Amino acid sequence: MKISERAFRAVGKPLARNEDLRLITGKGRFTDDFNLPGQLWAAMVRSPYPHARIRNVDGRVALQLPKVLAVYSGADCEADGLKEINHNPVPSTKYDLKLTGKDGGAVFIGKHTLLPTDRARYVGEAVAMVVAETREAALTGAENVMVGYEELPFVVGTVEATQPGAPILWDSQTDNILVDSSFGDAAATATAFAKAAHIVSDVFHIGRVTGVPLEPRAALGDYNSETGRYTLYAGSGGAVRQKHELAHVLGVEPKDVRVLSFDVGGNFGTRNRAYVEFGLVMWAARKLGRPVKFRADRSECFLTDYQGRDLVTEVSLAIDESGKFLAMRASNLSNVGARCVSLSPLSKGSGLITGSYNIPLATLRSRAVFSNTMPTQAYRSSGRPEVTFAIERLIDKAATQLNMDRFEIRRRNLVAPSQMPYRNAVGSTYDSGEYEINMDKLLRLADWQGAAARREDAKRRGKLLGIGFANYVESSIGTPKERADLIVSPEGIEVVIGTQPAGQGHETSFAQVTADLLGVPFERVKIILGDTDVVSAGGGTHSGRSMRHASAVIALASDDLVSKAKLLAAQIFHVAEGDVEFDDGVFKITGTNITTDWFDLAKRLKELQLEDFPGGLWVRRDNEMHTPVFPNGACMCEIEIDPETGGIEITRYATVDDVGRCINPLIVHGQTHGGIAQGVGQALWETCYIDPESGQPQNGSFMDYGMPRFNNLPFFKTEISEVLSPTNPFGVKAGGEGGTTPAPAVIMSAVENALAPLGITGVEMPATPAKIWAAIQKADRSALAEYI
Amino acid sequence: MYPTKYHTPKTLSEAQKIFAAAASPAYLSGGHTLLPAMKLRLAAHSDLIDLSAIPEMHGFTQKADRLSIGAMTRHHDVANSALVAKLIPALAGCAGSIGDRHVRHRGTIGGSVANNDPAADYPAALLGLGAIIVTDKRQLVADEFFTGLYQTALQPGEILLQVEFPIPQIAAYAKFRSLASRYSVVGVFISQNNKKVRVAVTGAGAGGVFRVQSFEAALEKDFSPSALVTCSVDPAYLMADASGSSEYRANLINVMARRAVENPGKTSCYN
Repeated sequence: MKISERAFRAVGKPLARNEDLRLITGKGRFTDDFNLPGQLWAAMVRSPYPHARIRNVDGRVALQLPKVLAVYSGADCEADGLKEINHNPVPSTKYDLKLTGKDGGAVFIGKHTLLPTDRARYVGEAVAMVVAETREAALTGAENVMVGYEELPFVVGTVEATQPGAPILWDSQTDNILVDSSFGDAAATATAFAKAAHIVSDVFHIGRVTGVPLEPRAALGDYNSETGRYTLYAGSGGAVRQKHELAHVLGVEPKDVRVLSFDVGGNFGTRNRAYVEFGLVMWAARKLGRPVKFRADRSECFLTDYQGRDLVTEVSLAIDESGKFLAMRASNLSNVGARCVSLSPLSKGSGLITGSYNIPLATLRSRAVFSNTMPTQAYRSSGRPEVTFAIERLIDKAATQLNMDRFEIRRRNLVAPSQMPYRNAVGSTYDSGEYEINMDKLLRLADWQGAAARREDAKRRGKLLGIGFANYVESSIGTPKERADLIVSPEGIEVVIGTQPAGQGHETSFAQVTADLLGVPFERVKIILGDTDVVSAGGGTHSGRSMRHASAVIALASDDLVSKAKLLAAQIFHVAEGDVEFDDGVFKITGTNITTDWFDLAKRLKELQLEDFPGGLWVRRDNEMHTPVFPNGACMCEIEIDPETGGIEITRYATVDDVGRCINPLIVHGQTHGGIAQGVGQALWETCYIDPESGQPQNGSFMDYGMPRFNNLPFFKTEISEVLSPTNPFGVKAGGEGGTTPAPAVIMSAVENALAPLGITGVEMPATPAKIWAAIQKADRSALAEYI
Repeated sequence: MYPTKYHTPKTLSEAQKIFAAAASPAYLSGGHTLLPAMKLRLAAHSDLIDLSAIPEMHGFTQKADRLSIGAMTRHHDVANSALVAKLIPALAGCAGSIGDRHVRHRGTIGGSVANNDPAADYPAALLGLGAIIVTDKRQLVADEFFTGLYQTALQPGEILLQVEFPIPQIAAYAKFRSLASRYSVVGVFISQNNKKVRVAVTGAGAGGVFRVQSFEAALEKDFSPSALVTCSVDPAYLMADASGSSEYRANLINVMARRAVENPGKTSCYN
């Protein structure tokens, strides 16, 4: 029987999370919880300038201070032959859009050395490291390192960095543009635009934000001179990737690097890529013969955690008389910061510019540009909120321009289930989905019928009610390889796997899957993660890949394990392999009363020590799965604007999310709730604003970076829709990012809807009260007479 | 944090002695401003003198027509005091609107007043109620006490002991909060006492907390929101930052003042 047709005991149940007791009783193992005897502390000397030549690094004063042991610069890294972090930023599965340099060639990414030898390229870049006996002494040492800077012209703006005459970050390049690729059928699109009855265009900047994980990033490095092995404790999005990248930096074999990443206090993409401090503490540990620890403070996190978004998109839609979409043009420009760490946001977004709609033709120009800013990285729902924002806001504008109902224009153009699998105009193939049904479910869930009465009620209270709506489709691709070890012991079953949760509940949902596949109680499955000496391979956690890849590889491994267990049972009971049947956790010998189970088999094997079963009853399975899935859904919210203050209150928020098979609804709802908060945060509160005049980041603490708070958000109504994906055994899509993907679009749709009586459009994110009030002052306020 | 020596004197005179003998001392009350600044290495003090163990700096006393609150009284205790709720309910509401639960259980009225953060709530309450500040050396009226951004009339080593509030017929506070820090972008505290009206504004003034005489005059004639409709504050005297321009703050001062008048006895929070 196909897995997707089976009845499940654990899968689909809202089981409480296995990890929660550990985490809420202080038994989590976060990076800073680890300390080694004799450990030293590192502190970074960071550039105060957005762009400056480094003349020299003088550590003489710092080295005179008590407890300061060493001052290291980029020259020291170079002298020791340390290599750059080989980020490999271009997404490379068969299904990722192929981004290239300007001439179609390789993408120049800018060398990411641990410490620069030539220039500082953004405010906050580490230019030297001080190591001391204590953290305080290291920080004092860092204050006393004299760096000779020569300030250079700089550029921080996304569009500004592309312009002729902009300061160039990398000497080997003629400008700052590192990616320039075009997709789609340009000629046919041009023809469609030429005959269109309506053309709707806009430009949007989806600004820069940061992930703000609760746990600041930290690293503890050690080196064993006897074994020649390095050890790193560092929470990340996947220890195996860090192991390989850091081995390259240090110039050693991957086997000589062990990375431990257990509990991680928030990732959201910020921790997926290696940080310079990770390599630095390992290198310093070897040089000084003692472990070295680093922990960023909150200001360092705001400045130097990999940041998110920062995309400028110019979009146009060609529409016929009846409101059918004919063609689309988009030009997307991604600000990668001072060097290119990841092109995932640009690539992911590029494949989804047409959103949930059947737009037969499209052309897309995708560009990426360097600037004197912290590098950007995939941030929760990498690239998808940006393009969802563009298409959904553009459709709202089209509805206004064509004087059509905004739901009707969407219905007329949604991809229909009968079109699945649907190949969009830039080549992405959507696996499955019932987009219009999502919309209908949502309109009921959100009580669209009652909205008009609520609008009148708000008006009586002097408030402008706005209703926001957005559909979305996103892609979940991610690193294609995953490995699972299934190990049976008399006590239980261990699953060793290379994903890395940061709150997603893998120890629960993976155990649910394993329990049902092997027919064992959920409580007897244990998930092992995070130590590269135990977890030999694995793709980490990003792009909504973990549940899908884990369930697929565990399913394959389970089949292998069942075969192996049948062989074992045959040997134990001296029967032919074909005489052993397996059903729901029970092995039965045909024609006898003999039955056994996993744990009994493991116990007997332990006693017998059969030579065909070295290491016991266990299997290792690798799986490579490139085919992406396309989670999708619809989202609606209501807000009330106080026209006197510009203040916004979100009064209702509802989503319908097709996550494919939902393994644990409690976890998926939680993921959706958190995802919504993060997406709404960008729309209303969060920004990493960099002053173009000074190049200085303006949001360096919680005093000036607005976070989502529970009392600024309503209770969410979230409904899970399970349209199983045909691409993997359980039919999983993904559930971690759908909350975020439509959120900026739906909030800004509501803001514009609320302000429609005043004719206000184009409020930029974050839509702060001050911005809304200023827009109201500029507008024709006669319509407000009814409110105030 | 640079090294510092922590003291917990049990008496006022002991605190004064430690202060006099130290190189660069600071008194510590709730520590919610000072300690983060020290942790960020933006402030350094050789000695921290914690005032929380000095008995006369705690609690509430009603003296004739005044309510006296000890400087080390926590925001949470002011917010939940039955006496404060009875005599000046808007003051209890104001204390309950400061920061979050954690802040309110550590932060003190004296610490907030002595720090005079230009966006803090208590300075508006003190100025808006015409409070008297009692120190170990003298008594000062609120109008003389707050002298500029983070500046007060306190002299080095002088300890703020109590704040005495005249009990008004009406008091109300309305504030519009920053979405990031939750401090007031604009907070307006209004009181009416024997026909005299005081209107004090925090969060907005380029020189810190201030009174708005034109609003006071208008409300003394007619204590109603409509009396304020034509009143305005000159943006030239106001702050501008990421939370809003000086024009926006000028608007909020008017809106918050009206809303305070509309809600006597209450503290109303917006945003």
